[in-house]
Formats: sequence, structure tokens, C-alpha cells
Amino acid sequence: MGSATATATSAGLAFAAIDYLGVVSILAYAPGATAAFAILIGGLVVILVSAIFSELNGLYPTAAGIRLYLGRAIGNRTALSVTFTYMTTVVLVIAADAFLIGAAVRHVLNEPAVLAYVWIAVLLGIALAANLRGVRLAGWVQTVVTYTVLAGTSVLSVVALFHVGGAFKRPLDLFGGGTFSGIQAVAFALFLYAAFEWVTTTAEEARSPKVITRALFIAPALIWIVASVFALALSHLVSYSTLHGSAYPQLLLGRAALGTVGELWMLALTVMTALNTFNGGFLVASRFIYAAAREGNLPRQFARLNMNAVPWLAVTTLAGVSAATAAVVFATGEWLLLVSVGAAIECAIYAVGSLCLLILRSRVDRKRPFKMIAGRPLAIFGVVLFSLLFVATAFADPKNSTHFSVAPFTVIAILGSISTAYVLLVVPKLQRAAAARNAAARPRRRPSRPSAEDSDSNQVLGE
Amino acid sequence: MADWNELSEALADYTISCNENERLRKMQRDWSRVLHFVCSDTAQNFSMDVDRGEIVSIRESHVGVPDIVVTATSETFCDMFWGDLNPVQKYLRGEIIVKGSQEDVMRLDAISYVIWPDS
Repeated sequence: MGSATATATSAGLAFAAIDYLGVVSILAYAPGATAAFAILIGGLVVILVSAIFSELNGLYPTAAGIRLYLGRAIGNRTALSVTFTYMTTVVLVIAADAFLIGAAVRHVLNEPAVLAYVWIAVLLGIALAANLRGVRLAGWVQTVVTYTVLAGTSVLSVVALFHVGGAFKRPLDLFGGGTFSGIQAVAFALFLYAAFEWVTTTAEEARSPKVITRALFIAPALIWIVASVFALALSHLVSYSTLHGSAYPQLLLGRAALGTVGELWMLALTVMTALNTFNGGFLVASRFIYAAAREGNLPRQFARLNMNAVPWLAVTTLAGVSAATAAVVFATGEWLLLVSVGAAIECAIYAVGSLCLLILRSRVDRKRPFKMIAGRPLAIFGVVLFSLLFVATAFADPKNSTHFSVAPFTVIAILGSISTAYVLLVVPKLQRAAAARNAAARPRRRPSRPSAEDSDSNQVLGE
Repeated sequence: MADWNELSEALADYTISCNENERLRKMQRDWSRVLHFVCSDTAQNFSMDVDRGEIVSIRESHVGVPDIVVTATSETFCDMFWGDLNPVQKYLRGEIIVKGSQEDVMRLDAISYVIWPDS
């Protein structure tokens, strides 16, 4: 895998349909052109994340990624608990994309609201069937899809900006609504870049660790450009009161810019994002479940393979949980809660990544292909900054920016508690059962070889 | 450290176990790869040629362009090919390093899992 494919993979993992809603969340705290400024600040913060993950990836270039960094830095149990929570964001993103695309298709076809459930089921059904049959998007298809989505969104946004002209309102007034409000805007801006670091899980496919490093720095720059022009166009062409209650802001911008053509244009791009999300998301999460089951950390049934060498129970469970989550989101109308939860978990992961780097800097004295300048102070800064941003998003209410909400934190606390309880209470039992099963199943197959002492005594006997 | 004799004995057993397992052959019917193995402790290299799920040759050097490169200690390789260890556990601890696609990494483990489900 070369730099172009790795960059496309990174940008494709980050830029999902939920990012369009992410921009609406930013607008709640940074109205008008200020949103683009928040996205710029978010992009600058992401450079720190890129550097941290580049160094960690250089140390351990493996698909196990954050699991291995954490395991080496903090310990296996914590690593497992954090990784289980992290993986829930994959389910959230898959569920969000299924819901958002279902809602967008239903809107364009002017169907009754209830048909969104049917579209969610159809989309996830197609993704499930393709995954069970072992169908994968070829690398070049994924690359083309990603660049088409990014270019298509940018072009429409630029066309829309011609309607606006240069009359941007309050472009630099990020803290006009209060200091904490500005911080919240930056925290939500970070969400637009979220998951770009998952490209580290493809480290084993890359020609060299430098390929991943390049992707980690270039992909956020691409997302920054696309998200900025989209935010500028959206904030100036569609009123916030209209965006506020909508699950498909990109369609509203498309219609405002180019009428029906623009709406269909954005619908096509929205559907295309699903190719990346469903392909990458299902692959990453189901293989993680498979590895966890093989390792003895999940029931072994999750490692069962069908005749296409696909862990069918892992994939099916993933689709089922995503469908249920999407249905709950649709029924409750709480799609912005998904953005808050996803943004907060990502901030927490970045804080944890910074902590890993800090610890591994003192423990591992190995040569790295990439080493951050001023690594230790920047890692400490990262822990503090991303913890603060975690608080900013975990207690945010994008539906009403002047209020705080405990809902995102509650969801994360529940997910984290379930993961931790599972790791502390269930995993030891599973591992004991696996050890007993292995001991009883069969003796060691490898023939024992004579030790050096045995060889010497045989020689003496022979003499 | 395991020498080449021990490794080739393990590989011979592994080849028979793989090639005679009908379920595995069917599952890997679309999997043709050249694998290179590197023993990190002895600098011993060897190659494995898999054609539609069948191991067709094993050679005591690196032959051809690899799709997958696996690096581990000679002892780990021996235990792995005898089915005495769980490759995923070693992989997740960074003791087995694989250069290849995620799909190939999983396929490689799937071989061990199918022929030795209790490993």
C-alpha cells in the first residue's frame, strides 16, 4: 500500500455521513463563518494526534494498534477494557450512517417517515450479505470513492459559496459565546477528523511506516479543506433553525445551491460514504471480535468461520446491534447525541494515546522511524488538552448550546462500565475455561527433544 | 532455538494437516499466496507457496515475491506449526510480526484454528 491509498483509507475512515451532522454540532457553538475557524483550530490540534500516533505506529506497526500500545504502556486488562469501549464507536458510526442514509433516501423519495426503518434494514442487510460472502472493496475502489466524496462535497460547497459571495459573518469570533462554548466548538470540530488514526491498523499492508505517517498528516489536511468550505456554505445558505432539526443538512445545502440536482448530488455522495463505512467498519470491528474470541477474551463462538473464512457470528452480531442502535436513534430523534458520544470517546482515546506515548517514551528505548520533537511535554499537553475536550463534549447538548447535558457522559459511562465489568468478571472465567479445555483436549504435539544434559549422558552410556 | 531439521519436521506435519483437511481446503479455495518466514533469533529463512488453499511447496530460503512476511523466533514457529500455541495471542503481544493485508493475517490464523480448533 502506497501513500495515496493510505491517505484515502485514513480520510475515508474519518469522513462518514455523520460528519455532515458534525458540522451542525459545531454551528451550535460557533455560528456562521466562526465554524470554519473552529475547524481550523481542530485541524491544528489534530496535528498533535498525527504526531503521537505516527510515533506509536513506528514503535508497533501492527493491526492490533491501540490495543498493543495500551497493553505495553498500561497493562492488558486496561487495554482490553478501553479497546472494547473504543470499538463501540465503530458500531455507533455504522448505525449512524445506516440511519442517516436511510433518512436521506426517504426524504428525497418523499416517503413516509416509517420507511426509514426499511431503508436501514435494507442497507445493513446488503452490508451483512456482502461481508458474509467475503466481498471486499478493492483498494483502488475505496480510493476512488473517498476522493470522489471529498471532491464532490468541496465542489458543491464552492458552487454554493458563489451564492454567498464574500460576506462572511464574524469569522474569528470563536469565543464570542463564552470561553467554554469556543472550546466545545473545537471539540466537535475534532470529531470531523475522528477515526483518521485507524489507518494505523493497516500498518502491516504499508510499504513502510513512513507511508502511514504521511497519511496521518495529509488526510486531516484534506478533511480540513472539505469540512471548512462545507461549513462556510452551510452556515450562510441554510438557516440554523432549519438545520437544527434535520438529519440531512447536506441535502439542504445541495438544494439551496443547485436545486434538485444539488440534492441528488449530495444524496449520491452520502450513499457513497456508506461504502467506506460499511466496508471498513465491518472489517475492523468483526476482525477485532474474532481476534478477541481467539485470544479467549470473548466467547469462542465469535471466532466461528463460515466457508468464506468470515467470522459469521461476529459480523451478524455487529449488523444486528447496529440495526437496533439505528432504530433507537430514529425513534428517539437523538442523532446529535451520537455525535456528542462519538466526539467524547475520540477525545478520550486521544488522551489515552498521549498517555501511552508518555509511558512508552520512558520504557522503550528503541529507534523509531518517526520521533516527535519535544515528545514528553507535548504528550503531557495532549493528556491535559484531550481530557478537557472530553469534558467539553461529554457534557454538551448541541440541541441547545446554552445548556449542559449529562446524556453523552451517561452513555459513555454505561459503555465503559459494561466493558470494565466484562473484562474484570467474565474474561478471567473464559480464560480459565479455555486453559482447562486446552489441557484436557490433547497433549503437546511437538516431539520433545533431548536436552544438552541428556545428550551428554547418552554419549557416556554409549561409550 | 530450533534448527532447520526441527522446523522442517514441524512444517511437514503442518502441510499434511492442512492439505488433508477438506473443510480448510474448501474455505481457502480462493487463497493463493507466497509466504516468507523469518526466524528472528537464527536468521533462518524459509518460504511457503499456497495455491488455492493447498500448500504446494516449502523451501529453505526466500523464493518469489512475498504476499505475506511472518517474523518470529524459531521456537515460536515450531510450536505454531505443531499447533501447540495460539498464533493470535502471540500476534497481539507483538511476538509474531506479520507484513501483509489484514485479511491475509486472519486467513493465516484461520488455518491453525480450523486444523486445531482447541489451540
